[in-house]
Amino acid sequence: MGQAEDFDETLERLTPGLRRYARALLAGAANDLADELVQTALQTTADEARNDSPSAVLDLRVDLYATLTHAAQRRLRAAAPHRPSLRQPAIMHRLADLPFEERETLLLVVLEGFTYDEVARITRTDRPVALMRLMRARSALTALDRHPSPGAEAGRRTGPHLRVVK
Amino acid sequence: MSPREHVDESDLHAFVDGELDAENRRRIEDHLHSHAEDAALVEGWRRQNAALRAAFAQTVKEPVPAGLRTASVTSLTRSFGSGVNWARFSPSKGASLRAMRRSDTSRRLPRRPAIVMSLLTLLAGAVVASAALLAFTGPASPPAPVQRAVIEPPGLVAHAQLAYQTFAQDSRPVEIGADRKAELSTWLGERAGFGRLPDLSAAGLELIGGRLVPGVLSPAGLLIYQSSSNARAALYFERAGGEHPSAAPPKTAPGLAAVEWRAVGFAFVLIGPLAAEAARAAAESAAAQASR
Repeated sequence: MGQAEDFDETLERLTPGLRRYARALLAGAANDLADELVQTALQTTADEARNDSPSAVLDLRVDLYATLTHAAQRRLRAAAPHRPSLRQPAIMHRLADLPFEERETLLLVVLEGFTYDEVARITRTDRPVALMRLMRARSALTALDRHPSPGAEAGRRTGPHLRVVK
Repeated sequence: MSPREHVDESDLHAFVDGELDAENRRRIEDHLHSHAEDAALVEGWRRQNAALRAAFAQTVKEPVPAGLRTASVTSLTRSFGSGVNWARFSPSKGASLRAMRRSDTSRRLPRRPAIVMSLLTLLAGAVVASAALLAFTGPASPPAPVQRAVIEPPGLVAHAQLAYQTFAQDSRPVEIGADRKAELSTWLGERAGFGRLPDLSAAGLELIGGRLVPGVLSPAGLLIYQSSSNARAALYFERAGGEHPSAAPPKTAPGLAAVEWRAVGFAFVLIGPLAAEAARAAAESAAAQASR
């Protein structure tokens, strides 16, 4: 039972971050929906981890975020996403404009501090693709910035964002 | 890895995100000293990161709603290796059902169901729209036949609740009374696949009988119990794959508590006007006997 207690404590410790991620992933529009997704992720992950061998628990955090990400993706496909309200910060609106794959990648790296390899596992892709999405997300957010620095922008916006810098 | 001459954009991202080892970090730092344009880029991303983190910093400081805290912590889950959903009609105040029943429930209409309903309405709209779209765009992409092995919400708990509301308060709640247990057990075993009649007297509930009811996907069983204060609770069961309860936390009508779990190839829902602890105790007892 001691292990199970630790396990539950781990889930509880991860819950605040998971809520933050869920809200950001939904672009801050529907906190109720975000919490619903968090609950789904907690429950599914807890059940799966308990049925699996204890070694699988090592990746608990990755599993948790992966479950939540996929639940969110399904939900957003099923229903038109809400737009962030006008009083929310500009970054939220820019976030909402990103394609889902780019948003999830950016948030996992920046907000939740996952490594590129972990992000690739969570989003069921490989590292180069995850990196590509991250670059696109950052490039898009920069392009949407209200105060772009034109000099630094010019060469970046075109092309596949893998420009080699000498 | 030998230090490379070139620095490409992916290196700059990896630098910002702390993905580089010490050697490569130094390499990029040197590069940024001599390339102002890239340094500005890196600086811009860092500002972006800070803005993103600031926008959501408040979320982690908020107290986690009670519904989320208890989502993973249930001894039933641990004892029986299956998930449990604790239905509560007010997720933020999962506390006392009795207190809720005392108060005037009509004046305390929870906001959340309203939001859920509008989401459902939106969803329904989207479904109708896409169906219409499919109908008008012809047979180019026929919809794949939907095969559901696992019952999805809101089906199961809502269904169990309907069965409960239909029969529990009826003047003839059961088809076969508890005085003909053997007959009841055989009947439900043959038709619903599960013939055990869990004894919940430890939880203060006496079996008064049971009946066959239409399930979500197959014939289901409904056992009705009565407490010493004449409150009636029901145990609903139906064949269902999967180890996990419905994905979304089920909502019950005010005054009703429901506990859902899956075991031995069945979905079970215990539902009744019980206090949270009583519902839990009864469900634990039933789950123990069902899985034995």
